[in-house]
Amino acid sequence: MKVIVHDLQEKSWQELGMKLLEKDIVISETGGCAGRDIEGLIASCDQLVLISRCVYGGFSPFVQGVLEKCKRRFGPYLEMRHGQTHYEVKSENRNVFGMVCCFYGDNITPREEQSARIQSVSDGISLQARGVKIVFYDTIDKLRQLNVVL
Amino acid sequence: MILFLDGGGTLAARDVACEEIIRKHTQSEELISIKIEDNMDWDRVCRLLEDAHAIVLAADVYLDSVSSTVLRFLERVEQAVIGGESIGGRFYAILHTELYEGEHTSVAMEVLKNFCVHANIVWGRGLGIGGSKVETTVHRGSLWSIFNQGTADFMVNALQEQALFIRERVQGTDVYINPKEVSRRGYIRKKKKKMKKSNRVKIAQNM
Repeated sequence: MKVIVHDLQEKSWQELGMKLLEKDIVISETGGCAGRDIEGLIASCDQLVLISRCVYGGFSPFVQGVLEKCKRRFGPYLEMRHGQTHYEVKSENRNVFGMVCCFYGDNITPREEQSARIQSVSDGISLQARGVKIVFYDTIDKLRQLNVVL
Repeated sequence: MILFLDGGGTLAARDVACEEIIRKHTQSEELISIKIEDNMDWDRVCRLLEDAHAIVLAADVYLDSVSSTVLRFLERVEQAVIGGESIGGRFYAILHTELYEGEHTSVAMEVLKNFCVHANIVWGRGLGIGGSKVETTVHRGSLWSIFNQGTADFMVNALQEQALFIRERVQGTDVYINPKEVSRRGYIRKKKKKMKKSNRVKIAQNM
């Protein structure tokens, strides 16, 4: 199962023509995500896809807001990993799901790209993803290429 | 005037303590504090941003970013600048994380610096504080502790230093700190103990 979180307008999302399976789940600003057990969905997915406008070298407020809802997925406890403290992940889905972070925006500076890459990898480590793929597109039209990546 | 932006979050008590220390060490200057929320009096915010000589943002970091509310606020500030507002004050950041290493706030710090570039604001200095759940252990009963109740002592020196930079409006290298007097494992144990205790209290209250 794929969980796709995006901050695109409904029209732009439809234009992407993303091939989805019946059980894939799309969380969007327009589609709403209230009441959805987001951390539960992330805990049981095979692939987590984050499609976000690059805001100052990070995720957009909407995508970040969805990630904040994963708080409950982490135990209140910490654990040591590679000599650093990280949140303890409750779910059994550790190291199973792949994460794809897709940033779009027409004026992404090299510094912002670098920052977005580091944030994506770091979030992948925190969520205990199997791997993290990071892609950048300068226009929404080019997001169609994402079909090849997924 | 110093404008203190309270980014709120789970460690909000720390932001209040931060504000107290900054206020104490910049006594000669007026400090106005506003809480970042979705519904704010935007005319007042713009006026304060324009008048401020220094802007101090204190916020929690979670998953390497400041909260979505703070991000929305920053975007709105950028739009206001594009719309003609001029912000002359330097920007200082104080970021907290529950994780032990203050370096966990470095990506969020980078995001704030990128915001400053977009909004044409001069970056002052960043302070990233790890181990924000550590309680005060030393100087108990001293006069100092009265002023800084709730702030772990390891933070006090760093916050005083940050206040100095703010007061003098100087730029500085970003600093990341963690509670050195507690080991990583000790911190994890302490936090676990505290959580268990608070869970027991919650259960007792619900009975």
